[in-house]
Amino acid sequence: MILALVVLTALAFDFTNGFHDTANAMATSIATKALRPKTAVALSGILNLVGAFLSVEVALTVTNAVVKIQDKTGAPKAELLADGGNGLMMIILAGLVGGIIWNLLTWLFGLPSSSSHALFGGLVGACVAGLGWAGVNWNGDGSKLDGVVGKVLLPAVLSPVIAALVAAVGTWIIFKITAGIAARFTDKGFRWGQIGSASLVSLAHGTNDAQKTMGVITLALIASGHWSDLENIPLWVKVSAAVAIALGTYLGGWRIIRTLGKGLTDINPPQGTAAQSGAAAVILASSHLGFALSTTHVATGSVLGSGLGRPGATVRWAVAGRMVAAWMITLPAAGLIGAVTWWVGDAVGGMAGALVVFALLVLASGAMWLRSRSGRIDHENVNDDWDGSPDLAAVPTPVPAVAAN
Amino acid sequence: MHNFGFALSGAWQVLLAGLALGAGLPILFALGIRSLAWGAGEASVNPSGVTAPGPRRPLGTATGYLLFAVVVLGVVLGITFIVAGGFGYKMSFEHIYPTFIAK
Repeated sequence: MILALVVLTALAFDFTNGFHDTANAMATSIATKALRPKTAVALSGILNLVGAFLSVEVALTVTNAVVKIQDKTGAPKAELLADGGNGLMMIILAGLVGGIIWNLLTWLFGLPSSSSHALFGGLVGACVAGLGWAGVNWNGDGSKLDGVVGKVLLPAVLSPVIAALVAAVGTWIIFKITAGIAARFTDKGFRWGQIGSASLVSLAHGTNDAQKTMGVITLALIASGHWSDLENIPLWVKVSAAVAIALGTYLGGWRIIRTLGKGLTDINPPQGTAAQSGAAAVILASSHLGFALSTTHVATGSVLGSGLGRPGATVRWAVAGRMVAAWMITLPAAGLIGAVTWWVGDAVGGMAGALVVFALLVLASGAMWLRSRSGRIDHENVNDDWDGSPDLAAVPTPVPAVAAN
Repeated sequence: MHNFGFALSGAWQVLLAGLALGAGLPILFALGIRSLAWGAGEASVNPSGVTAPGPRRPLGTATGYLLFAVVVLGVVLGITFIVAGGFGYKMSFEHIYPTFIAK
């Protein structure tokens, strides 16, 4: 029964992961009107689905990067299974809740923060609460890039800079090359360039992020004794995780798409091509080299870089600063929510504890969804001019979405 | 601070690969667009205000499509790379052309 709640919560996290990250691939194509908003999210959703199935590589050890609840083979640590795995499942549940609530909160403010970091943060917080500080893999064992520092903090600082540099160089040279060419050539050409590169980012996202949920669900199945194969992931887990992330992507986190596509800088098709190609290349290169980074940080960095590289473009540094602030607090904030959730669940105890935690999650999500109805952003107004529109991050009073007319 | 060293060496490689592919391919793409535009001939506006297309330059058109083909090849390689990784294979470029080796 606790297992069912964990699976449901993990799929819910996967879903928020999807709609939180639609922007990474599609914000630029939507902003330049290379694709209609609905077409863009549908394309991205399908590619995420395909990507999730392409990644058959076992992702069972995903939590090992930041916490110590599994051994190297992916099996849960024996001492955590003494109570039938319930203790371990409460940690996973609390961690997932931390990740979901932080994802929803940042979505409400239209901030592109990293879903992986939210998940890792939630797990770290739940482990600190449940197992103490030693339950967290802070710095790795020195043999490779590992731990909270190596897998989360350092890549978070480095990857936006790398992506920004690549996109800035690409944009700058593209504008040099295409200066003075008739718009009918550049518009059509770069439209396809954008669609192609954005598709690549979507596909890479599906292969990377859906895996994490699959790994977490399978861990819970093993902990509760419902699965024992460490080499494979049950088919239904794969299918449900792939569908959840694809549906989430299709729903589209319009608030975040708007911030990334219109808020950071004003993008035109050549810039979009450069930004999205840069993002795709950096994501692929880094996953090949085992350099764990967040799709979100890369995409944001490359959009910023394309704004820096185009002569005469302006970057809204206030928006960029707010994003960076959100990135910096993602890990501790999701961790805090994860820890508090674990304490609540543990205080109530057992099955009832898990139910209380789940009810709290539903309540919090519902409240944030209701809050989003005022000043709502969807596929119809996602491209409105940024300047002069109500500022998402600072709406003290609800702004009616539709004026009386 | 061993992690710091690992991160910096990783970051360098990602940056180089990112510049080669992430900036290189779009630059080829832009060159392709430039060639196409050149191949279509220079339009001129005659005294009566009517725009007349100039003589076509097939070489430019051909070069343009050739460059696009190179870009598409690069993208196909990228996708193959993801798919191969998912199925437990690694792409190796030690023979210059890509070969698959089991991980």
